[in-house]
Amino acid sequence: MKVIFGIGLVLATLVILPSIRYVLAAGDEPGEYLDRRVEIWGLFYRLMIVAFTVGTVVSGMIVWLVLRFRESNPKAKPTEYEADGKW
Amino acid sequence: MRLMESGKMSGHSTWPEWVYIGVVVALLCYVGAEAWNVERIVEHVPADAEIIKVTGQQWLWTFEHEDGTKEIGELHVEKGKAYKFEITSKDVIHSFNIHDYVVLLDAVPGRVNTVWFSPGEAGEYPIQCREYCGLIHYNMRATLFVEDKGA
Repeated sequence: MKVIFGIGLVLATLVILPSIRYVLAAGDEPGEYLDRRVEIWGLFYRLMIVAFTVGTVVSGMIVWLVLRFRESNPKAKPTEYEADGKW
Repeated sequence: MRLMESGKMSGHSTWPEWVYIGVVVALLCYVGAEAWNVERIVEHVPADAEIIKVTGQQWLWTFEHEDGTKEIGELHVEKGKAYKFEITSKDVIHSFNIHDYVVLLDAVPGRVNTVWFSPGEAGEYPIQCREYCGLIHYNMRATLFVEDKGA
């Protein structure tokens, strides 16, 4: 445990913290400006991919549940409570 | 032992549910982190950005450059430079929008809102009020002229 904590501390000092500082300092060089169109529309498209992925997974799961657990499914079997009244 | 107490009430394995919850929570964390990061990057104003004071009033836009030059209904800027807009209003709430450069911020009386951009391509771009501000709101427009350096 101590070893993991020690490695984490070293990594944080050598890699993570300088990376954060580098990222926070981005855009300070004169003449080099980000294109907000690229950033904002890029974010929009990435989030749309996430939104549609979640929508697909959730709706797909609901469709699967409804089909798989309908009473008329040949694979359907009652739970112990439904079959034997065990609680 | 009761089924509920033994954890068998559902009659099936629950690990897929935990995977499902984990994936959704991870995606939500990703959405929040990405949005926060992009907002932080976009709002970081370059130190050498030139300030342009933007004033909205029914129903026109007025611009004032750092050197005191004033423009009404037109804004001339240089390609490749950074500009910081200080936006306010004289009467009601307006919204300053340069659609082609994804600049959109409310102009509120008694308050100065700031947004910055750097035009990358020469040309003419429409500026439009995006907050209904009265009868002629639809025509509260201006034109952004992005000019090559030294033009």
